[in-house]
Amino acid sequence: MFDIFKSMMKEEWRMHSSLFGHSGFALFPVFIFLFTFFVSLVLPVFREIVSDAGIALGMHYFFLLVGGMVGAFGLMGREFMNRRFGQASLIAYSSRTLPVSERVIFLNFLVKDVVYYFILYVLPFVAGFALAVKFVLPLLVLPSAAGSFKIPLLTLTLSLSFMIGLSVVFFLSTVYAHSGKAVLAGLLLAFPALLFASGNFNGEVLYALPGLSFYLAPSETRQLLVSAFLILVPSALSLIFLKVDYPQVQKDFSNSFSGLSTRFGSYRYAAFVAKDFLDLKRSEGGLGKIIFSFLLPVTLVWVLLSALGNVIPALDSLLLFSLVLGVLSSSMYNWLTEFDLFASYAFLPLKVSDVIKSKLDSYAFLNIVPLVFLFGLGLRTEPYTLVPSLLVFLSISFYMVTVLVYLTGLYPSVNLYNGKTFALYALSIVPVLILNIVLSILSPYYLFADLALVPVAVYLLGKSFRKWDGVENPQF
Amino acid sequence: MIEVKGLSKSYGKINAVDSVDLSVKKGELFGLLGPNGSGKTTMIKMLTGQIKPDSGSLRVHGVDVLEAPLRVRELVGVIPEQETPPSFLTAEEYLHFVAKIRKLEGYEKACEQWFEFFDFGDQKNVLCKDLSRGTRQKLMFAQAFLHEPKLAIIDEPLINLDPVMQRKVKDFLRGYVKNGGTIFISTHILEIAKEICSSIGIIYKGKLVHSGRMDGPELEDRNLEEFFLELVGQGCECREQREQLEMQAREKQLSKMSA
Repeated sequence: MFDIFKSMMKEEWRMHSSLFGHSGFALFPVFIFLFTFFVSLVLPVFREIVSDAGIALGMHYFFLLVGGMVGAFGLMGREFMNRRFGQASLIAYSSRTLPVSERVIFLNFLVKDVVYYFILYVLPFVAGFALAVKFVLPLLVLPSAAGSFKIPLLTLTLSLSFMIGLSVVFFLSTVYAHSGKAVLAGLLLAFPALLFASGNFNGEVLYALPGLSFYLAPSETRQLLVSAFLILVPSALSLIFLKVDYPQVQKDFSNSFSGLSTRFGSYRYAAFVAKDFLDLKRSEGGLGKIIFSFLLPVTLVWVLLSALGNVIPALDSLLLFSLVLGVLSSSMYNWLTEFDLFASYAFLPLKVSDVIKSKLDSYAFLNIVPLVFLFGLGLRTEPYTLVPSLLVFLSISFYMVTVLVYLTGLYPSVNLYNGKTFALYALSIVPVLILNIVLSILSPYYLFADLALVPVAVYLLGKSFRKWDGVENPQF
Repeated sequence: MIEVKGLSKSYGKINAVDSVDLSVKKGELFGLLGPNGSGKTTMIKMLTGQIKPDSGSLRVHGVDVLEAPLRVRELVGVIPEQETPPSFLTAEEYLHFVAKIRKLEGYEKACEQWFEFFDFGDQKNVLCKDLSRGTRQKLMFAQAFLHEPKLAIIDEPLINLDPVMQRKVKDFLRGYVKNGGTIFISTHILEIAKEICSSIGIIYKGKLVHSGRMDGPELEDRNLEEFFLELVGQGCECREQREQLEMQAREKQLSKMSA
């Protein structure tokens, strides 16, 4: 039992280091540590507008989302790995060849994810934060300040939030394996309900997250039990009702490419856009990915921000949301490039930049989804800030994707996890985001300054095309 | 059809291709032979403009590869070493996709003919990722010849194919050359070269150690395998090793007898 766990830990490390290089990947937690440390140094400024409880709230929800994302990658990353390594033979899929039950393998997989990503994300984050608190808060005049962030407790409760996110996603994936339609229908029903309720949420509802509640009131051990319940019950149910769907089943589809590419018109990259659309539709999760990995987190972010807007009136929920939406939209570029290798095109009359341009066309098509979402939301909630919100979304989404293209080319899912590249990425993005938040507080119309990002992005794109066309054999 | 002069390419300290001069004429079926890692795939990647040489010049189909690599790939049909069609297109969709990239008209009939030729019409609606490696190789063959190029460059043409398909492919390549086409293949399987090539080049550690016709004087009274092994140094080493082993065995026998 422990041997499987050990092998899975080794496998996870080797898989990542083979993708990102040993030093590049080893730098990733170091970067998280440094990044958290430096961002936390401005805690005194944050504390002028946000309470300690508000900061704790943001951190706990962030780790809830990270847990969910780790769970989603663990379960859906197989196709990506197969593309990268050929028929990837991960231990998690080896119950057919080893005399071990699928349940034992899944249990090990779950524990491995918790331990591995605790070391990778949670620990460096808390360490960076703790160090910054040690430096910064004693300098403040507030005598009780240093005591208000309890580091050992924070480590525990952030881990709990992370594990809740992970086990809920595992549970949802088990339900999905039994009936994908049930999960999609449930999620589709949940959206309007969440959107409808979002205006009525107040801070209290958000603070009900048990890890966070326990952090804020450690005497309430009941919250610890609720956290344990939310981690153990979905995990246990996932184990009991586990259903393994082997990938070797041959899938047949009638030709929908030709019709689709004709419908996309006769412009240069129509065939690629049609192909990207089929990639999304036919890969694991299908078009449900857009709901599961995009619209659901986006809706949760909106719920969170609209509640935060009630707590901190200086923050405009819709403007902040459009900013976050722009950031999250850029992740769609990862989806589009996830299943492609340039090796598939290198022998055809195409340049790397041709494939990147086609991906950007598909990206523009996909951006219609968040654009419509934002438009509808803005009309319903804050029509007076709709125009600057749309502008923020479009310019941030465009800028973010060009930075991604410049730094990672056709392989964002691989190159971005190189510590150095990620540091450059963060340095190009974070100041722009902070500036946007500050400007949105001053006046929504200052955000027209984001128009200045467009020529920067266009310049960066031109540079990216030259850069990636010049890189030899850009394949893995 | 192919003119290469002083071509070199190195990766760090390794000279993958070292000062190679090579010429392939129209109507030839040329085989580039060499052991694994001798520089064959690097050579093909340079010929098709996928990578740039450190020095030297290349003209393919009358086009300077360094100046217009895309034009070369427009004119030439290429089958790469590893078959990597996009995962989520079916076999038929992939051929249509390639046809659209190559801006071909009325390609549907040609696609059907290829499915028939390779006898995998029943697989045309299967996603590429679910196809067997042999079927994927057939698909790569079909995409390379879809635009009826005058020159095809093929890395390991018979890999993953069963004997029936191998025979079909060999016959097809011979017929293709007979009808005025030119083929450049790279392989480490000497039997293929022996059977179908009109001329060969032997590359070893990046250097072209032989180039000539299959019916040339070097191979007049010699076996291709022996000739190849000798050129790549293994012939001598093998003989030496065999003689050494025989000597050791004789010594052992003698010592036993004397005991």
